[in-house]
Amino acid sequence: MIVAVSGINDTDNPGPGIGVARSLKESDASIKTVGLSYDVQDPGNYMDFVIDKSYLLTYPSRGWEPIYSRLLYIKGTYGLDAVIPTLDAELPQYIKYQDELAAAGIKTFLPNSKQFELRSKENLKEVSETIGIVYPRTKKVYNIDQLTEAVKEIGTPCIVKGNYYKAYKAGSVPEAVYYFTEISNEWGFPILVQEIVKGEEMNVIGAGDGEGGVLGLVAIKKMTTTSLGKIWNGVTIKHERLLSVAESFVKSYKWRGPFELECIVDGDNIIMIEINPRFPAWVYFATGAGINLPKRLLDTMFGKECDRDGEYEAGVMMVRYTYEIVTNIHRLSTLATKGESDG
Amino acid sequence: MRAKNLAINQNGFAFDPDTGESFTVNETGKFVIEALSKGMDEKDIAEALVKEYDVQEDEALNDILDFKERLGLYGLLS
Repeated sequence: MIVAVSGINDTDNPGPGIGVARSLKESDASIKTVGLSYDVQDPGNYMDFVIDKSYLLTYPSRGWEPIYSRLLYIKGTYGLDAVIPTLDAELPQYIKYQDELAAAGIKTFLPNSKQFELRSKENLKEVSETIGIVYPRTKKVYNIDQLTEAVKEIGTPCIVKGNYYKAYKAGSVPEAVYYFTEISNEWGFPILVQEIVKGEEMNVIGAGDGEGGVLGLVAIKKMTTTSLGKIWNGVTIKHERLLSVAESFVKSYKWRGPFELECIVDGDNIIMIEINPRFPAWVYFATGAGINLPKRLLDTMFGKECDRDGEYEAGVMMVRYTYEIVTNIHRLSTLATKGESDG
Repeated sequence: MRAKNLAINQNGFAFDPDTGESFTVNETGKFVIEALSKGMDEKDIAEALVKEYDVQEDEALNDILDFKERLGLYGLLS
């Protein structure tokens, strides 16, 4: 079995790819992993204990055709049975063309376009209501006048965020204007102004079988984060209401594929922050806690019955750390000139 | 009561499996939390503390009330 994963940028702002590949390898040593990389310097290209072979791809902004051709090339030369894309920017294309991939003999297990749109912040209010939680007071704005009015109405500090990406805490109207400009220049409109809610941030990783069934869920609390807000240390928790909300999300929308729910929890009050339609970068944490979601996803992808046991212990701790690989620059030059590692 | 779910080890490290929060309590703090979890009231706990430690009952009772207030501030009595 040969499985490709993207997001092998295992940096201080890590992609989920290495956690996915590591989970698969630990579940079955015969699985070969292919790293789909957008940068020769992605650490995953050199982590040959997790990634068997890597290939450089053109950025998703160049369209589907170069990605599709590259995947066909990999299938033809090295072999490729399945792809697990993990980066936000590439997901829309993989979702749109998943049937084309299937026809070429490359399996995926992704939400459909309608499900994918649920995570748009414009739709999160409705999703929150459906699964019985709260969505923070939010105003959609398209220009500075609307922004100023919204910030005054919601009060400061508030969150200024893009519809899909980026979120900043603004302490004043000028600061809000600054972030409005920054986000809209990069990601367009609408921009959302959102109230700040009190409570503890808790996250759930999970996967759905597309028929309303849950492949597994693990809830965690981030204990420390980096300056970019990425988890560094975390602990598994058993917040029953939060887990039942995640289950309700999968059932209500017949969610297909991996996801992460980001919530603020204040007692029994759960407030929706974000839904990520992919594995988070801390996916291996759940594997370490006993719920190997990448393996369960792969089994489901191939129509195999998979382990759906939801039991894990609260109090399992994850500690991220840094490490160095010292290697010959020949490996970088091979990747840069041939577009693929020796493998 | 959330305090009832706390997992407290022998060193006094208390972990709340619902929220992931952790606390450190000393030996008497651990004693009081465990007693509260069993449903004992403050007076019974004070009497138990007097038997176990070198302390007067009224002093023990005041300390328990003070400690309970702190537990409440952390939301552990809800």
